[in-house]
Amino acid sequence: MKSIAFGQYYPADSVLHRMDPRFKLIISLLYIVCTFLCKNVLSFSVLLASALFLIIIGRVPLRIVLRSMRAVLVILLFTAVLNVFWTDGDRLLLSWKFINIYAEGIYNAVFIMIRITVLIIGTSMLVTYTTTPIALTDAIEDLLSPLKKIKVPVHEFAMMMTIALRFIPTLIEETEKIMTAQKARGADFSSGGLIKRAKALIPILVPLFVSAFNRASDLATAMECRCYHGGEGRTRMNVRHVRFADFVYLLIVIIFGAGLVYLNIFGIGYTMK
Amino acid sequence: MSEIKIEGLTYYHGKGTPYEIKALDDINITVPKGAVTGIIGHTGSGKSTLVQMFNGILRPETGRVLLDGADIWEKPKKIRDVRFKVGLVMQYPEYQLFEETVYKDIAYGPKNMGLSDDEIRERVHGAARFAGLTPDMLDKSPFDLSGGQKRRVAIAGIIAMRPDVLVLDEPAAGLDPRGRESIFGNIMQYHRETGSTVIIVSHSMEDMARYCDNLIVMNEGKVCMQGDAEHIFSRAEFLEQIGLDIPQITKLMIMLKEKGINVNTGAYTVEQALNGMLGIYGK
Repeated sequence: MKSIAFGQYYPADSVLHRMDPRFKLIISLLYIVCTFLCKNVLSFSVLLASALFLIIIGRVPLRIVLRSMRAVLVILLFTAVLNVFWTDGDRLLLSWKFINIYAEGIYNAVFIMIRITVLIIGTSMLVTYTTTPIALTDAIEDLLSPLKKIKVPVHEFAMMMTIALRFIPTLIEETEKIMTAQKARGADFSSGGLIKRAKALIPILVPLFVSAFNRASDLATAMECRCYHGGEGRTRMNVRHVRFADFVYLLIVIIFGAGLVYLNIFGIGYTMK
Repeated sequence: MSEIKIEGLTYYHGKGTPYEIKALDDINITVPKGAVTGIIGHTGSGKSTLVQMFNGILRPETGRVLLDGADIWEKPKKIRDVRFKVGLVMQYPEYQLFEETVYKDIAYGPKNMGLSDDEIRERVHGAARFAGLTPDMLDKSPFDLSGGQKRRVAIAGIIAMRPDVLVLDEPAAGLDPRGRESIFGNIMQYHRETGSTVIIVSHSMEDMARYCDNLIVMNEGKVCMQGDAEHIFSRAEFLEQIGLDIPQITKLMIMLKEKGINVNTGAYTVEQALNGMLGIYGK
């Protein structure tokens, strides 16, 4: 159960790991926009190359990146198939009964597959693989802090997220422990019908909830002992300072997007509508 | 009464992941039937992993676990029967309680065995007595009990299955001295009255010296010593090398010997030491 990859942070030392998480979030949003700017073969090739470039400078093994793609493979193939069959165009390649396959359909399918792939690789390289969950929630808190003006409890939400992320591995470990203990008393989780199996979960869920509530109350006490009183007037131990380089990265992404739009005017092959 | 034998057992945690660790390395041991066997070792030496092999919670990669001469993994579908025969009380077992009443919680194991209601009632009452629970506690919610009482309920939940082999992983961890003594007293009483094989994992050398007939010492996933308490504690230097301790009374005996008093350094309980000392002074 420990193999459940959560917050798939991959520890390494790279440009992406060192980048300010707030900028990473903004840049990944812009990068998502970039994937939707592409329209033709040329711009899509450049987009794909940029995703590979991110993997290389992020120093995350290709194997690990591809493994995360496996989860979306079904969606990827499904959208591709839909596009192949449901795109109308001028160049008919194949016609059988009511099925018409056009060259435009093939192009669309490939383009959309590239778009989704790059979208996932881009965001995971910029955010999940290279940012620790804690840095991420801090960044979200910073970026949403203007909302404090309209009385949105941004700090409290961020704190809740941090605590939730922090306790996921603990709860997984706990679940394992409880399952072992109940198995030792002859619990059987893998046989019987749906109702029997659901009932077999009670001896796991009850202790799990009890201990989660106990932990929560212990944590609340511990926080109160250290005079935690919410976000007001609270300062950080590690204050992040915006660096010149972060603005350069931001500029690079904007130029990249503009470049993609420019490449779209070269009408090589098919251009997406 | 049952005997457990382990042959050439090796086990890895997280096999096939980058975090693979060899948890148990070529273990060969025999746990004699009807005796109290102690397993001692430093944190992370593989004790808890080893005890989870005894009742088939974990499955060895190589090697066999034999219960009365039969490989427990011969029929993986029948592994539940092994778990009823070899009762395992996990570390801090009070987390496993989930029922509305203590009675129902103790009855969970026997119920899984498919016993009749009458049989279950008899076993629950018997187990509660062995674990030192009073009959009026049976109707209470387990969550209203104190930590020590919860521990007793959890132990009773295993005893109620009437296992031939009772395995306890750190049964007294986190209890005060009186609680420790009382829990061990209950376990020993169970052992004496039923004649079952008992295996105890512990850090406390004092407790192990006092209650166990023979000891297994583990270090870095290997069994490095096996024998009776006197044999084990006579090798104080080796034990200290692998991060373990010897009973304080043995330490005292060794210090006395260094001062030139001819005492028996193999003494590991206060009574033995006392008798030895009296012997020296001819009383």
